[in-house]
Amino acid sequence: MRERLSFHIKRDSALHRLNPLTKLLLVLALILSAFLTPFYWTPHILAILVIPILSVIGRVGREYLSTAFRLILPAATFLFLMQAFFHPIGKEIIFAFYFLDMTLESLMFAFGNAMRIVVMVSAFTIFLLTTHPSELMSDLSRRGLPGQFAYVIISTLQILPQVQAKAQTIISAQRSRGLETEGGFFKRAGALIPLIGPLVFGSLVEVEERAIAIEARGFTSKHVKTSLHEIPDTPTDIFLRWFLTTLIAASIGLKLWLS
Amino acid sequence: MAFVNLQNVTYKYPLTKTPVLQNINLQVNEGEFVAVMGPNGAGKSTLCYALAGFVPHFFKGEISGSIEVDGKKSSESTLDEWVLNVGLAFQNPFNQISGAKYTVFEEIAFGLENIGVPREEMKDRVDEAMSLTGISDLADRSPYSLSGGQQQRVALTSILVMRPRLLVLDEPTSQMDPIGTREVFGVVRKMAEEGMTVVMVEHKVEWIAHFADRVIALKEGRVFLEGKPNDVLTSDLLVENGFGISRYTSAAREAKKQGLWKKDKLPVTLFEAAEGFKP
Ligand SMILES: Nc1ncnc2c1ncn2[C@@H]1O[C@H](COP(=O)(O)OP(=O)(O)OP(=O)(O)O)[C@@H](O)[C@H]1O
Ligand SMILES: [Mg+2]
Repeated sequence: MRERLSFHIKRDSALHRLNPLTKLLLVLALILSAFLTPFYWTPHILAILVIPILSVIGRVGREYLSTAFRLILPAATFLFLMQAFFHPIGKEIIFAFYFLDMTLESLMFAFGNAMRIVVMVSAFTIFLLTTHPSELMSDLSRRGLPGQFAYVIISTLQILPQVQAKAQTIISAQRSRGLETEGGFFKRAGALIPLIGPLVFGSLVEVEERAIAIEARGFTSKHVKTSLHEIPDTPTDIFLRWFLTTLIAASIGLKLWLS
Repeated sequence: MAFVNLQNVTYKYPLTKTPVLQNINLQVNEGEFVAVMGPNGAGKSTLCYALAGFVPHFFKGEISGSIEVDGKKSSESTLDEWVLNVGLAFQNPFNQISGAKYTVFEEIAFGLENIGVPREEMKDRVDEAMSLTGISDLADRSPYSLSGGQQQRVALTSILVMRPRLLVLDEPTSQMDPIGTREVFGVVRKMAEEGMTVVMVEHKVEWIAHFADRVIALKEGRVFLEGKPNDVLTSDLLVENGFGISRYTSAAREAKKQGLWKKDKLPVTLFEAAEGFKP
């Protein structure tokens, strides 16, 4: 099994030293300004300039680039093509391919949207790369987020790769019993049905056992929780949080005012 | 008064037709190490859940009788209070990982974080517990990347570190090699010596004979036999009822039929067998 189940990269950088909540606000501010801005080029500037600079400040430039090329760009490209060809706006066709038409307006629209997605996913990626998940959980529960909530967030982050690994195991097992998992689309889609049972039922039993396990370790105890890792929270954090909150409020305000 | 006191406990899961535990009476003294054995489906895990408060606080179903630990009744307590006194490591080690931690060290500290132990003390206690169970070298590994036996050690350590008064272990060595098994029994014995009360479900009769103070054999939800390890583990009733027994006991029983085993008592461990066969 994979040894590393989180994205987090242990390094010392200005971003790593920020409080998790400050970073969450930063993510939120980036996303909101990309989506709510009245200026066409904001998402592009964020995606091409601000995000890469952030990844360098966080000393995770290389990891970010690799995720961007393997995951974010292909997804954004797909979205871009779909919208460029199928979004029915504009009259003047600048490019045609059989029955597919692209107008200048649809091109611009699709490009803007693709960039917004890049900003959103990239911001989260950098957040995950520079934030220790346990720190995030402790910090959020310390600030009054119910422990169960924090747990759900954090364990989902962990369990996804596990579910993936398990699906793979089940597929191999079923295949060894003669199940078709290769071939045409419908054949393969049909082949997925027998996988659902073991995956879902297995997961339910696991959820029950896991609930017992964390309960046995005092998870719902009424004591004030402590945390193994020291969670950074400096005056810089407090200042940044004010600043980001203002920025978020401003972009929402501007959007409301303009509409 | 016994430290653990079960009186007439009968319990039925919401979906079972017949009771899984039937009229269980069980007393365990403080610092005593009791082993529980029995065939599959005998109700061993259910008994563990009952001791640890999960029956009936988590599993619901119908329960009667009373479960008392340290003078407190389970029915009058809440689960989150109960688990501070009673630690449970259950059968499947994989699902005992909290799922919220990325290293073994953090995993073991999880319980201490939940009950608000200060950071420095937490680190000391985790270090101490890990060296006790021999997993200090796993501290920085991901809990998911461990072997079954290693995961079981982590599960045991995660509970030990919380220092419960009653330790309930459900087949804690099922995935361990002989050396691991021996070490776990050694650790458990040591904890009992220091005053922790232990109830441990186990099938490895030779180790039970060597380390436990008392054995309870469960069958179909009832206490079938109970007593000193050697008495219970060499009883004829065990073989007749499908329990696993030690090969040394089987050998000596055969030998006895042929007049080769002269002692009254049958052996359970290799050592006892070797003693008995000495000319
Ligand atoms: N959550 C549950 N809901 C309903 N029935 C259950 C549940 N858990 C166990 N049972 C049933 O209760 C009976 C006793 O189960 P239990 O797990 O206590 O046995 P066990 O002695 O631990 O067996 P094993 O050696 O297989 O671990 C079995 O018949 C089982 O099917
Ligand atoms: Mg069991």
